Amino acid sequence: MNHPALAEKFARDFSRTTWHDETLWFVRQKRDKAIYPIPEFQELRLLASKIKDHTLSNLDNYLLQFEENARKNGVQVHWATDGEEHNQIVLDIIRNASSIKDKTGTIKMVKSKSMLTEECHLNPFLQKNGVEVVDTDLGERIVQFRNEPPSHIVMPAIHLKKEDVGETFHEHLGTPKGEKDPQALTEAARQHLRQKFIEADVALTGVNFAVAETGSFVVCTNEGNADLGVNLANVHIACMGMEKLIPKIEHLSVFIRLLARSATGQPVTTYTSHFTKPAEGKEMHIVIVDNGRTQQLGRSDFRNSLKCIRCGACMNTCPVYRRSGGHSYDFTVPGPIGAILSPNIDLHKYSSLPFASTLCGSCSDVCPVKIDIHVQLYKWRQVVSKENELPASKKWGMKGLAKMLAMPKVYDLGGKLARSALRVLPHGMTHAKGLNPWAIARELPDAPKQSFKEWYSKNKKS
Amino acid sequence: MSSREKILASVKAHKPVLIDLPTIPAFEGDGSIERFKTVLSGIGGHAIEVESKTDCQGAIDTHYSDLKSVASKLVKSSVEIDKNTSKEVLERVDLAVIEGVVGVAENGAIWVPEVNMINRALPFITQHLVLVLEKRQIVANMHEAYKKLDTVGSYGAFIAGPSKTADIEQSLVIGAHGARSMMVILYGG
Repeated sequence: MNHPALAEKFARDFSRTTWHDETLWFVRQKRDKAIYPIPEFQELRLLASKIKDHTLSNLDNYLLQFEENARKNGVQVHWATDGEEHNQIVLDIIRNASSIKDKTGTIKMVKSKSMLTEECHLNPFLQKNGVEVVDTDLGERIVQFRNEPPSHIVMPAIHLKKEDVGETFHEHLGTPKGEKDPQALTEAARQHLRQKFIEADVALTGVNFAVAETGSFVVCTNEGNADLGVNLANVHIACMGMEKLIPKIEHLSVFIRLLARSATGQPVTTYTSHFTKPAEGKEMHIVIVDNGRTQQLGRSDFRNSLKCIRCGACMNTCPVYRRSGGHSYDFTVPGPIGAILSPNIDLHKYSSLPFASTLCGSCSDVCPVKIDIHVQLYKWRQVVSKENELPASKKWGMKGLAKMLAMPKVYDLGGKLARSALRVLPHGMTHAKGLNPWAIARELPDAPKQSFKEWYSKNKKS
Repeated sequence: MSSREKILASVKAHKPVLIDLPTIPAFEGDGSIERFKTVLSGIGGHAIEVESKTDCQGAIDTHYSDLKSVASKLVKSSVEIDKNTSKEVLERVDLAVIEGVVGVAENGAIWVPEVNMINRALPFITQHLVLVLEKRQIVANMHEAYKKLDTVGSYGAFIAGPSKTADIEQSLVIGAHGARSMMVILYGG
């Protein structure tokens, strides 16, 4: 994939790009308003970061403690080294569940939001194996109808306008043509999905936090779709990346105070649900997934990225994400955090993502767990270069520039030539797209008569 | 080697040296009823105050006289619900009146443990939700709330206002999948 190329495609629609930019900035402002009334907000960020530091440094023991407690609670715990194994485990759980195994019709699953299952490409796998999978988060249902991936981890359909959603619902839910009122569209989805909740054999959720001390896990939603799904189906499968662990219940207080405020500017999500034991006669399963996480744990420069609680604040504030859209990252988690997670998965494929940043540092400023995102972006660039994954133009450009900067005479001469060339050459040539990609959307300043060095030697008092 | 062993061995090999766990200081704050009410109305819910728990019936009669199917252990119930009630019956509940145990002034959330839910699905599938809470159970923030809870039980949820979504163009819509409205009855002195 190539981020600049995909971003260019998104940015071609100028008014939509502007709308996207402003909408996400509005969410960033809501975040600011939500954190100012909390005097200890910065202290909470630091605490959250340190709790995660500690947990990651003792992760194997916490995983064992969590497993032991969950099993005592009657929950079945499964382990998956990668996405493929995760998908197979989920399918096996479904097929072997006592409430399902004798069913003759289609097995029906409702899902609440889980970025992990997106990462593992669970939906297509289950569908291929005859399971009906319905995403129940409104934004996710919209993109599922459209056969698109989510473009944001908290607001999956943020790249769409209400007219687009109206079209999609007209096609799939039979809403009147031209209906674009969010209230009416949401009501149509409510009616449609209530039926799905009632029919479901199995409910799958993600996990926001898993607590080692009690073997519990917490799922946060605003819509109530996780609880509706889980409490109506006979089987609950919760899929979690291993980095979701925290040591104790008391630590939840820190993260719950940070999560929704950072994500959408709400004081808390509508539902913060704590699952510990399955309801009588029902099954509860947890699938713990590695899929590259232990490798990231071993990279001291990039380990911090595992602290992420998936709030999306870094996306909402990022000037590049806001103007290039989530799909331009072509990765489950887009935005700045995605740009530091993805190279760990596939450096070759995602080599352009660490460059999808101005390194302004706004992402690190808003991160509720204080991940040094912009520093990691910079460090990934060094890795990309060392691994020979830079595009040729950038690679040779940098090499040439390094040589020239090391030779003052050549540099002086180059500067002189450039200054006069800019004065004489026609605009069409100095700004030719093929020759000067920098000038595609920018104007060069007027060339000065002399360099600073020349000015200084003329004006200095001897 | 099983995947479990493989993962645990890999974590052990890759984890950094042990870093200390920080202590969470005692964060204090405004735990007043006024703050709770203001925050709750900011997230789409609303609260009323009555003198005692027995006044709940009157409040329900006043506010929800139009709703037929009411499920509750606190007020007059028109539909019998227990933990084995079928989905079809649950689906037709108009109003659930349930008791909460701890309220959080900072975010308007109320802890509802499984034992109070009657049926795990009830607080979510009901069209409208009323949570009843004793005033003195309101604390300032989440730290105090968890401290007060003692245990999170087998299942429980902090519920803050009605179900909502802003997934279409960031326009706030109340009543996504869960309760379309949410009222809190605060009682006691």
